[in-house]
Amino acid sequence: MTLAVAIFAFGVGIYNAAGFLKAGKSHVVRPNQVRAPSVPGTLYVAQAGAIYRFRNGTFTQITTESGWTQPAVSSDGSELAVVRRYENWSDLYLMTPSGHLTALLTHDHSPQMESNHWVFYPRFSPDGRTLFYDFDPKDPFNSYRVDLAIFASPSDPSSHESVQWTNPNYYTGGDVYPSPLAGGGLIYTKYSIDDQSQVHPQVWLQSRPGSTGFALTDPALDCGQAALSSDQKLVAMVCTKGQTQSTELNVAAFDPTTLTLSTPSTLVTGELVASPVFSPDGKSIAYLAPATPGGMFQLWTVKSTGTPAPRELTSLLGLDSTSPPVWTAG
Amino acid sequence: MEISPVYMPRASIIAAGFVLAGLVGLGAYFFPLFRTAASATPSSGTVAGAVSDTISNLNPIDVAPSQPFTVLLLGSDDDSKFPADRLNTQSMILLRVDPGSKQATMLSIPRDLWVPIPNQGMGKISTAYQLGGPQGAIAAVESNFKVHIDDYVWIGLNGLVKFIDHLGGVDVVVTNPVMDDFYPSDLSSTGNPYDYYRVAVLPGATHLDGVHALQYVRSRHGDLRSDFARSERQQQILLAIKAQATHLNVADLPTLAAAFNGEVKTSIRLDRLRQLFSIAGSFGGSNIHRVVLLAPYTSEGSAAGQDVVLPDWSAILPLVHQTFS
Repeated sequence: MTLAVAIFAFGVGIYNAAGFLKAGKSHVVRPNQVRAPSVPGTLYVAQAGAIYRFRNGTFTQITTESGWTQPAVSSDGSELAVVRRYENWSDLYLMTPSGHLTALLTHDHSPQMESNHWVFYPRFSPDGRTLFYDFDPKDPFNSYRVDLAIFASPSDPSSHESVQWTNPNYYTGGDVYPSPLAGGGLIYTKYSIDDQSQVHPQVWLQSRPGSTGFALTDPALDCGQAALSSDQKLVAMVCTKGQTQSTELNVAAFDPTTLTLSTPSTLVTGELVASPVFSPDGKSIAYLAPATPGGMFQLWTVKSTGTPAPRELTSLLGLDSTSPPVWTAG
Repeated sequence: MEISPVYMPRASIIAAGFVLAGLVGLGAYFFPLFRTAASATPSSGTVAGAVSDTISNLNPIDVAPSQPFTVLLLGSDDDSKFPADRLNTQSMILLRVDPGSKQATMLSIPRDLWVPIPNQGMGKISTAYQLGGPQGAIAAVESNFKVHIDDYVWIGLNGLVKFIDHLGGVDVVVTNPVMDDFYPSDLSSTGNPYDYYRVAVLPGATHLDGVHALQYVRSRHGDLRSDFARSERQQQILLAIKAQATHLNVADLPTLAAAFNGEVKTSIRLDRLRQLFSIAGSFGGSNIHRVVLLAPYTSEGSAAGQDVVLPDWSAILPLVHQTFS
């Protein structure tokens, strides 16, 4: 009898052993289940619809897993503006740094499908008085056209004013990724489609709402996701140079007087870099990238000078790469 | 003469028992693969639903694929809006692989390309599959593009989703925001297949699961380039799949076969498929050329009361000849 059980168990073992030969899928854990090398200050990241605060090497989950993404922090660090994404719309909320909701800023849900709205990429102005964000204004003449445009509203939740800052190129998906300038202007990513049907993101600058603005980067570089250092003298951005399976992390000096960018230098290449953000002192950049081809996105840091080599802070997470980390001093 | 019985030693019986148990264990593991292959075409043993035996002009890929070969990749909306035997191809990509030079070319054929379809008359090339199955699609492409096709792969909506999910998702750089307020809600077998929902695939490097990868390759309403944008995104996802598929091995095939369950059809046999996986890793991004038949190769027009894409064969054929001959 014992022998029969052993033979049976051997057969089951062979079955399971065959399964172990399968290609391993990425094993993803919640950030609060791991520790990571600490960095100065506090980072906020998103994973699987939840926001996590990273401080002293430990992640703390501050929201439930229910569509939360793209946190932004006010200049004094007292509140977060966060997107909550549903299947057909998204809304913008204010919450405390510990995740306590204080205000619902938008009401983008509609029972009629195409009357729903998206809101993405909130960013506080450096003085904290204005909140910039992406919104999809409807085209009354063509319901198929859905292009995001950048709007701004007073960050006071009792205000109901809003100003459309940008006018996107039609049928490109729109303008995204606002980074407000201290002088009142705005840097963002604008898309265009050339005669060869190629899409080109460019880092764009507008000095006032509704103005045409101008490009800070060449269309051939395909740069977007620009992040400003706190002193607004450096811009980190992701450039693809026509590639669709790899990106570069570039840094350029920004002159706020002449409103020009220097020739970018490449800090990271050969990876799939997303959503860079400067440390509060501007000496480091955090970004998201997979550690292995096809892998899930992890948290990395690199010095703004490019040396030493980038440091991978996490290895088992599946961070939301479309949610730029927020890095504060507190 | 009395024959004395032969007794196996007890140790041999036990060893045989273990061997038998091991074989049963392996058989159970690979059973989904055998079942799928057997239910498709008993004689060919393909991954799922192959009909290579019925397509006489195919030249299945050699055991050691050292020679260049061409595969026609087909994708269809196979939701409940369409009878199973009346599917158009929403995606048609000619893939030429040269293992010797480690060069590959993907050529996307516009679904609305207005061409003569063998035995059917003029029509959109996407209807060739509906009218003649894989053989019809292959015949239409071969006769118009003057190429020889060695094998084909057809995949349905859920097949692509399941395949990408089995791979653990794919990493891509989303080139621009993909916004669509009228994306079909037809993946589920329940509910109204004519319903729709809103899609917003945000730009930048990202990891997409099967459903979101399908949104990325299928959405077209919010893009200036409409179907051509889709073609470029489809090629991009194929490259991402190729990158992920290099991690697969033979132990993954049973799960894949079980998951596809009729959502993938191909004339490529299992052993060939395994070899293709093995060479996939040797092709880098710069060695894979991507062609979309924009102007001047094609122009928009109308025919038989339909919006169509008109080919300029004087421009297309030299391009195809240069790449696929």
